[in-house]
Formats: sequence, C-alpha cells, structure tokens
Amino acid sequence: MALTSTPFLSYHEIQVENIDIYEDAFGFCQEFSDVINLLEQLKPVPKKRLTKRLIERVRQMN
Amino acid sequence: MKKTMSDYELIELFVKGEQSCFDELIRRHKNKVFAYISLYIRDQALAEDLFQDTFLKVIQSVKSGKYYDNGKFISWVMRIAHNLIIDHFRRVKQLNTVSNDDYESDLFNSRKLAEANIEDHLIKRQIQKDIRKLISELPDDQREVVILRHYSGLSFKEIADITDVSINTALGRMRYALINMRKMMEEKKISLTFN
Repeated sequence: MALTSTPFLSYHEIQVENIDIYEDAFGFCQEFSDVINLLEQLKPVPKKRLTKRLIERVRQMN
Repeated sequence: MKKTMSDYELIELFVKGEQSCFDELIRRHKNKVFAYISLYIRDQALAEDLFQDTFLKVIQSVKSGKYYDNGKFISWVMRIAHNLIIDHFRRVKQLNTVSNDDYESDLFNSRKLAEANIEDHLIKRQIQKDIRKLISELPDDQREVVILRHYSGLSFKEIADITDVSINTALGRMRYALINMRKMMEEKKISLTFN
C-alpha cells in the first residue's frame, strides 16, 4: 500500500519574513496582484555618490 | 559582525564613538527612506537634500538622547522624513511657489544604457514613469500608505503609528488606493509589459 503523507513543517521553516499579518488577512496580494506586480517594477534607490556624500557629512559632524 | 547587530545595538555603539555603526544604519535603511522622499518630492535635488537632512536630524536627536528604543528605529526615522516633507510643503505654501521640475532620471537603479538593450531600457523607463504618475495621482492619504508599505516596507501597524490613524483606516486607504490604481491602469491601458 502506497502511503502518502503531508510533511510537517517546523516552526523555523515557515516563511514569515516581510509578511504583514493584516495585509495577509485582507488578501491584498491575491486580490490585487496585477497592481502590486506593477508597483514592484519601480525601485527608487539613492545614487552611490549620494550615500557616500551623506556618510562623509556624518563623519564631519563627529 | 555589524550586519547582524540590531539597530539599537548600532546606535548605542555609535553614541559611544563607533562612527562606522552609523554607516551601517545608513546602508541598512537608505533605500526605504529615499523611496519615501523621492516619491513625494519631484525635484530630485531637493529629494536628495531631504534624504541627507533626515539622517543628519536622526544623528542630532540620537546624540541629544531623544531616541528611546522600542524596536521601531525605522518607523522613527520615517516619521522624521515625514515631518521634513511636511515642513517643506509648508514653506513652499508660504512662499507661494510651485516646483515644476519634471524629474524622472537616474532614480531607477537601472543598468547603464550602454550595457542594456536600448529598447528594453526605454520600455522599462516608460513603465516606471507610468507607475510614478499613477502614484502621484492618488489622493494624499492613499498615496502615503502605498509608499510606506510598498517602497519603505513598513507594516500596517507602523504606518498607522506614523500617520496617526487606526490600522483599519490604513488598510482601508490601501484598498481604495489599489482599486483606484487598477482603474487608472485600465483607463490609461498600462500593463506589465516588461519584466
């Protein structure tokens, strides 16, 4: 008899990083996946020179 | 070593004179702070100034003992950024000037044009421009929730704290924002054509 069983996940294997329980409960990711996927195409990041300049200014303050 | 330390541990060491700990805090949170500011402020130079001012203000507050750890360092930093943006708009209103700077370049962390396929690059730029437009057309309260959640990575609890509303209100605003953006996407025929 071929027995199949559902493997148990340990507590540490459950992926909860970056999950917001309220968002999860409201199901935004499922209901609005098209809009959310579009939003994810935009990733504004500071230029390297800006970060470098900021670190320099912080060092000058000290 | 520093990468595994909590924000508060880094702050404590920074106050004791370990300068490099603040460098790590900047590296850790710069994208969240910059995304929030740059999606509000169209003038790139001004957004960069406010980005720097936010961290400089953080240092002043930390050094004068105004930061008490409750595990929410980034929420506190975002509140400082939020207040600086509001101060800016107040000043602009007082001066009765409006910035018309149309800014769209160099924010997108894209590969250099020379290395990328030009057509893909142009499509990607157009989509990013469309997304910025979609976000900018949302009512202020809805736009704020979208930026804080999707670009600054804050939880709804943190968003509710920063914007002084209940979690339910923040969730409601997000729902309306997503519905409105979908409607605008359909009207403007914007779709995800590049990945």
